[in-house]
Amino acid sequence: MSTLQSIPVVATKAEKPSGGTGNLLANVFDELTAFCRSRSLFMLHYCTGCGAIELPPAMTSRFDMERLGIQPMVTPRQADILLVTGYVSTKTLKRIILTYEQMNSPKYVIGICSCTVNGGMYWQSYATAKVLADYMPVDMYIAGCMPRPEAVISGLRELMANIRAGRSDNWRDYYRRYDHYLGNQQRLFGENWQTPTDVIGEARHYGQFGPETLGEHTALLERHQTPLLPFEMRLGLGGEKTGVENKGDKR
Amino acid sequence: MKLAASPPNNVSASLEFLLQEIPGLRTKWAGPRRLRVDLPAETLPALLELLKGRAGYVHLSAISCVDWPTQNEFELVYHLWSYELNVLVMAHIRIPRDPGVYLSVYDLYHPAAFFERDIHEMFGLYFEGSPDMGKFILTEWDGPPPMRKEFDSEAWVMNQFEWQDYRPDWLAEIEAKGGGITTRPQDIRKDGKP
Repeated sequence: MSTLQSIPVVATKAEKPSGGTGNLLANVFDELTAFCRSRSLFMLHYCTGCGAIELPPAMTSRFDMERLGIQPMVTPRQADILLVTGYVSTKTLKRIILTYEQMNSPKYVIGICSCTVNGGMYWQSYATAKVLADYMPVDMYIAGCMPRPEAVISGLRELMANIRAGRSDNWRDYYRRYDHYLGNQQRLFGENWQTPTDVIGEARHYGQFGPETLGEHTALLERHQTPLLPFEMRLGLGGEKTGVENKGDKR
Repeated sequence: MKLAASPPNNVSASLEFLLQEIPGLRTKWAGPRRLRVDLPAETLPALLELLKGRAGYVHLSAISCVDWPTQNEFELVYHLWSYELNVLVMAHIRIPRDPGVYLSVYDLYHPAAFFERDIHEMFGLYFEGSPDMGKFILTEWDGPPPMRKEFDSEAWVMNQFEWQDYRPDWLAEIEAKGGGITTRPQDIRKDGKP
């Protein structure tokens, strides 16, 4: 989008390992960022299926996720982790993708239960999507039917370790290979499928634009896409306001 | 209110007497408070009107549909409850699968719109006079009605979806000791694809 591009941005380049030559403090800031990120995770739990029942004990006093720095968060825009707990029906998947695209980077996806791995016990069902990783990059699977809170916490600790070590950056993959993910989404939802998020623009914005960001599927998207328009803002006082309402009534 | 195990004799007798007004109707007590009624499809609106007007059957609790592909028929079951008689009436009708059209009972029972829309989506059975026959739960679905017997869900899934390999390290450790998965997915799936 033109407005996004007009914002001056310095994209962070992939840091090179210092390799022991010269400045010891070269990566200190990145290390600190990774440490802080791993210790303060806000989790959006998208409770699609039965796995959600294991989350209340994991979050509350019995297993107490908060001692690890993980808290539930109510909105996607303020969350780091998207927890997909259980089977993903085709209808739900649309909402999950919308939610995922609204989240700020860096963002992490955890698929809980066997259903997110390969459809689980719903593998024969016509209405459920089978492999969550086809539609969005998944950082961690916690398999089980259902995984106990210990397993959930163990998986989250592993994710924390990955973030700390800088290994968990699958969110970049969504921008770099957007065409692949969009292709799978279009296969399920039809070629008219689009989200209000401008992923390609974001990929440029975050400096994640790659050769596989664009492709035949994004070309299809552009052909069907209705342009994203800013919300019309109306200011009115008293009589003007009623005038607007009357206009609306005529329609 | 605690109900007796079976309705008083005068209730069941008067209910059966009332139902005799419908031609071609057969009754059978499926349980102490459950009356099964089989009747020709064209007399069902008359039955519902009779039950609602003269026996207090104000609650249509469900309409269920059964597909009988060998007989080329759909069976519709209307479950009705009376809070006065406390007897469930299950009205069974059969309609031909082709063209698969029946009358809506929305004018008698408004909740019927919900059930009829659901049956239309799942079985492809059209209800004339129902307020909305649009997509309901399966908004993303454009295949055949999935609850019909001839719809092969497994074949459809095999055609539509792909699978990923799941080979965790702990499984390799178990297999090294001689254990492992006893039943693999390809043993269950019809076409043997992994």
